[in-house]
Amino acid sequence: MGTVQLTIDGYKIVADESKTVLEAALDNGIYIPHLCHHENLHPNGGCRLCVVKQDGVDGVITSCSTKVREGMVIHTKDEQAEAIRKLSCDFMFKTHPTECTGCPKYGKCQLASISQYVGDTGRDLRYTQIRVTADESNPLMLHEMHRCILCGRCVRACEEMRGVGALKFEKVDGRMRVVINGASLEEAGCRFCGACVEVCPTGSIRDKVGVFDENLPRERALVPCREACPAHVDVPKYIRFINEGNYAAAAATVREKVPLPEVLGYVCVHNCETNCKRNYLNGPVSIRNLKRYAAQQDDGAWKEKAFQKPDTGKKVAVIGSGPAGLTVAYYMRKLGHDVTVFEKLPQAGGQMRYGIPSYRLPREVLDKEIEEIKAIGVKIECNSEVQSAVDLKKDYDVVYAAIGTHAGNKLPLENNDLPDVYLNADFLRAENLGNPLPVGENVVVLGGGNVAIDCAETAVRLGAKHVVMTCLEAADKMTASDEEVTWAKEDGIIVENSRTFDAIVAENGKVTGLTVTGIEGLKFGPKGPEFTRIPDSTVTFPADTVIFAVGQHPDVTEAFGLELNRGRIVANPETFETNIEGIYASGDCVTGTRSVIQAIGEARIAVSAMDRYLGGDGNIEENLAPEQDANPCIGKATDAEKAGRHEPKTTEPCERVKNFDPMDLGFDCSAAGCESDRCLQCDLRLQIAPQKFWSDYVPEEGGAQ
Amino acid sequence: MKKLETDVVIVGAGPSGLAASVQAADDGASVIVLNKADVVGGAANMGMGPLGIGTRQQQAQMVDIDVERAFKMFMDYTHWRVDANLVKKYFENSKETIEWLEDMGVEFAGAYPYFPKSEATWHIVAVNGGIGRNGGAIMNKAMMDKGTELGVEYMNSVEVQEIVIEDGKVAGVKAKAADGEEIEVSAKAVIIATGGAGDSPEYLKERMGYTWGEDMFNFRIPGNVGDGIKMAIAAGAATTEMNMEMIYVLPNTDMIEPLPAVFMQPNLMVNQFGRRFINEEQMQNTTFTGNAINIQKGSVGYSIFDSSILKGYKKRGLDVVNFVHHPENLDEFDEVLDAQIAGGNKDVYMADTIEELAEKLGIDPEALSDTIDEYNDMCDSADTQFYKPRKFMKPIRKAPFYAGAFRPSGYGTLGGIKVNDDMEVLKDNWEKIPGLYACGTDTCTIYGDSYMFLLPGNTMGYCLNSGRFAGEGAAAYADEN
Repeated sequence: MGTVQLTIDGYKIVADESKTVLEAALDNGIYIPHLCHHENLHPNGGCRLCVVKQDGVDGVITSCSTKVREGMVIHTKDEQAEAIRKLSCDFMFKTHPTECTGCPKYGKCQLASISQYVGDTGRDLRYTQIRVTADESNPLMLHEMHRCILCGRCVRACEEMRGVGALKFEKVDGRMRVVINGASLEEAGCRFCGACVEVCPTGSIRDKVGVFDENLPRERALVPCREACPAHVDVPKYIRFINEGNYAAAAATVREKVPLPEVLGYVCVHNCETNCKRNYLNGPVSIRNLKRYAAQQDDGAWKEKAFQKPDTGKKVAVIGSGPAGLTVAYYMRKLGHDVTVFEKLPQAGGQMRYGIPSYRLPREVLDKEIEEIKAIGVKIECNSEVQSAVDLKKDYDVVYAAIGTHAGNKLPLENNDLPDVYLNADFLRAENLGNPLPVGENVVVLGGGNVAIDCAETAVRLGAKHVVMTCLEAADKMTASDEEVTWAKEDGIIVENSRTFDAIVAENGKVTGLTVTGIEGLKFGPKGPEFTRIPDSTVTFPADTVIFAVGQHPDVTEAFGLELNRGRIVANPETFETNIEGIYASGDCVTGTRSVIQAIGEARIAVSAMDRYLGGDGNIEENLAPEQDANPCIGKATDAEKAGRHEPKTTEPCERVKNFDPMDLGFDCSAAGCESDRCLQCDLRLQIAPQKFWSDYVPEEGGAQ
Repeated sequence: MKKLETDVVIVGAGPSGLAASVQAADDGASVIVLNKADVVGGAANMGMGPLGIGTRQQQAQMVDIDVERAFKMFMDYTHWRVDANLVKKYFENSKETIEWLEDMGVEFAGAYPYFPKSEATWHIVAVNGGIGRNGGAIMNKAMMDKGTELGVEYMNSVEVQEIVIEDGKVAGVKAKAADGEEIEVSAKAVIIATGGAGDSPEYLKERMGYTWGEDMFNFRIPGNVGDGIKMAIAAGAATTEMNMEMIYVLPNTDMIEPLPAVFMQPNLMVNQFGRRFINEEQMQNTTFTGNAINIQKGSVGYSIFDSSILKGYKKRGLDVVNFVHHPENLDEFDEVLDAQIAGGNKDVYMADTIEELAEKLGIDPEALSDTIDEYNDMCDSADTQFYKPRKFMKPIRKAPFYAGAFRPSGYGTLGGIKVNDDMEVLKDNWEKIPGLYACGTDTCTIYGDSYMFLLPGNTMGYCLNSGRFAGEGAAAYADEN
């Protein structure tokens, strides 16, 4: 396509001949006021703000609908054009509130900015307000149409860009208005993509406060699942691949950020789901199960695209083979370093093998993904305990410690040292080493997190008849996920909430029960939990075995050679370097017990820092999945897209409590397809040009192409 | 990470920051303005114009106000609790600042009072040659255009996070752009002009004791969360008393004309005990009325009138209008009121008897009836209680009866950073922090405890003039260092 040369306000400009005068001006930093024009919408020339003077043409021309031509001479600051713009502004103010006070869009308002530029912020024309009350009925978007200036951008975005048509113009009581094309947005087939919000120049259609984090840059805030993931896995992208039936591409997308995709498909704490925008509608997309399904269909095609840098000759020691250690080993090897992992226990995997029970994470899944890591040349030495990271450093260029939290916390209760009293970490590790600790008929687990549930479920599977979990937190404040709590209850585990532990009761050196008292008003202050004891609520749960599941800490002492704080290794929060140069640490041993994905996310940052320390660029980004051209025209929501969350199949409680076989069977092809229909594709909104203001344009002297 | 270097960095692009930028650039300094909002102008984009004293407009309109009278009036009003030198300097320069703006192409529609008893110091920026709304926005653009011409670089959507102090002197700022990019600007001088903390309920609570949404309903200008005050304190500045620029509103009804205009008429105002507490003539003075409401039980004042009064307004117009609330006709009053009441708006009430009205307002019916009887008696003679002029004494007798529940509000906060009359930021021991300047509402303590509404245009006037003083000082400092 050819180019033409034209002059705008004295600037010589070269523009593609397909451009309009307005586009050519804006591309070159010359501002012409415009409202109905939007980069992503077809021009309709209705707002009359973009009028300019063209030499040799009578009157003014509409710059958004006039194509550039060779030799054109344009004046944007022509007197007649300015008069028309002022009048146009005035008409917009006829329906817009007279005062900006109280408007949340203040400071980001296109109308205010345009009128400021045009120099007409509203003459004393009579203001005839649109009498329409705010519509707050939708949980994601707010309609305050009394601010509407009828520019129609929302209507066009919904119709043209999305093919939905959930908004329309309609005459109400003799006056034109923008209304919902149905009884509610849901009924109108709205996809909740936010395009209308994105293009609204006033405060008429807005995201509800709290839906997006206003302190984050737009690119990050608008896709809450991706932002919430510690490794920033591109969730909407892989769900779209799943929806297209391209499972291998979905698996590759996940693999771009994490070396343990299928493990995560089983056990991820899924911050993505917690932050899924669909929570405001009818429950989050079941992202973890979609990931699991995709990972199960992985064909390994991504391996051809994976980067492997040439060997650097640098030696890296990794202490611990949990998710953090494995992630560091994987990426450091890919960056060309010679990596050896030291693992104290007989097999690699850390808490994924010795903490998480196998009914939640089948060991063959873990084995397979560890094999992938070994396959690129990572050496793993098991049964190999490192006494001192500092000593190890003498033989390596970099040492990375991710020793996890393998020691359980014990509360200072009477009789806590009896043989029938176990710690979470020991109890789970023993079972996973094949030497389970014996449990009695009645087991009481202290704690309300996922590890407490793992202990309770393991006790059930080891033959306990009555298992009680008890914790300080109320039912809705437990840290265990709702799903796990539900399953535990199905398996006959009794959950006793809002209790403080008074004493372990014992007779003749044998545990007989746990005495607890009901509490209320639980708060976590700087000195720990604060609450009020409820009088006359003390009871004793019978118990033969008591298991503490009230947190874990690293099994480490000063002899390891690194600075500790409250039993944890101290590391720089940005680089994860410890007090010793060249020794890095991250994962649970630094942060306290978190999650697999948190460990992976931080390990990625630590890798970049270590690689830079070794003289590399620290870049571990890779494109393993094919390019995706997301179709913005998503059409009206179908019944499938409006559906509630699909739950995975699970084995029957009466059967599953007998063994350690997997209990959550995940999705099949049809469930995965259906669930992927539910994704709101929040990332499509980023295709829409962000709003710009007159003050953002700076003309280039002499013009630019 | 982007690194920039300049003589003067200005934090904020409201009228004080813009005025400072133009002044500093005109005085020869290189200037970068970092503005958190997407557009320039700050809160003043919804303002109408600044104060000026002794201007050409006032002379032409035969307005009798000069610096001496304004100064005396002001210092009497503030009981000399404020910086007299700064007040004097501000008033003295206000005329020249009006001309300075005119030189940039700003046109003024004239000098006006805000309400009849106030002075005509308010220089309303012309919108299309006459009086319009939000002329402040046009003025702000003119300043930015002038600044751009003088080489000032304006960067919007950039949030300054820290003032860098090295060796006890200002060395620049650290900032973050909307896309997350970090920006470091090294500079000889920094001017803080961030517009106060009206959008920070925490500030309102901690510094002024108000609970937003309960006893304070100020306009929250998005983003005015006290950034500059926090950064100045972190850089070692002393802090000052902070105040609300007090007014009063019907919190949910302020935009729903013609309701606010009618309810703001000087009829009967009572508190939760059903007692009068103000000479309602003062309702024109939004600061005084805000103050009075603020000290009542529940921080609420009920403005009451009857259907005869309403009928009179419909026929002959309102008793009092101002530039903000001046509906042309009141025909729609009933329809709008009905819709609001039906919609559950708790600001406005209508009842067929005084007893019913009292019950709706949660006032003891007997107490309200007594007050109204007494008030009606005074309407036949004189307001011996608070001396309201006869013309505003209209009895409340004919059903239906109307009430509006007014509550304290404000444009924003005033004060926070201690400065001298050259806008140099001071530490607790009154020593300067070399290179640090502040202006605008972050520093505005010249009103004492209450906004000086008798000289309207004061806040924008203070912002512009203090901004110019800061710009002048910072440019001179940068030149010397």
